[in-house]
Amino acid sequence: MLVLRRRAGESVFIGDDIEIEILAISSQGAKIGIRAPRETVILRKELKLTQQQNEAAAQILAKKDFERALEKLRV
Amino acid sequence: MAQVETQYFGTMSYREDSVFDFPDGLPAFVHEKRFIPIESPQHSPLLFLQSMTQPALCFLALPIQVVAPDYRIAISREDLVLLELQPDRQPELANEVAVLALLSLHDGLAATANLMAPIVVNLKTRRALQAIRQDSGYSHQHPVPRFAEQAC
Repeated sequence: MLVLRRRAGESVFIGDDIEIEILAISSQGAKIGIRAPRETVILRKELKLTQQQNEAAAQILAKKDFERALEKLRV
Repeated sequence: MAQVETQYFGTMSYREDSVFDFPDGLPAFVHEKRFIPIESPQHSPLLFLQSMTQPALCFLALPIQVVAPDYRIAISREDLVLLELQPDRQPELANEVAVLALLSLHDGLAATANLMAPIVVNLKTRRALQAIRQDSGYSHQHPVPRFAEQAC
């Protein structure tokens, strides 16, 4: 992972058109501003993880596998 | 009585007041706003969360205290408002809210539970949402302990 030190008011660019600016830093956390093309999807990581996990959770198992998985759970 | 097509149990009758109402759906399933919880004595304490619009969509869930007996809920103020609960305190488990962990089954073998983003249901209104924690104390892939079947 690239690690940079930035102060409030400073920013970085990712590619040509995504800018991430550090707006303020406090003990509560860092407040960041993002300028990006409208079509760029920006998600908090925990929401992205939840989406992925829900998609995994929704995967339907064949009935036989499902019963077998439940057996493993219950033992 | 109204009926719903289910993934594992064929066509089932249900009571309208048992439906969980997700006004905003779930992340990755934002259009799925109504789920019916199905308990099967054979599979207790597992809970099946069956979509009412897609028979093939059924989540498996466990009460959070089954997965992690000392789990501490931390529902954001924003989510408490959406759930129509008092925003200035955490609700009482079992009394005011049900908290469920969604399970993922991996290749039909080991299972994990999402403790980072549990389903929270207001038991009075049946209003529900997936409450994503803001802290990083709990995993979205917590190994599920094996549980003994509960005697009925």
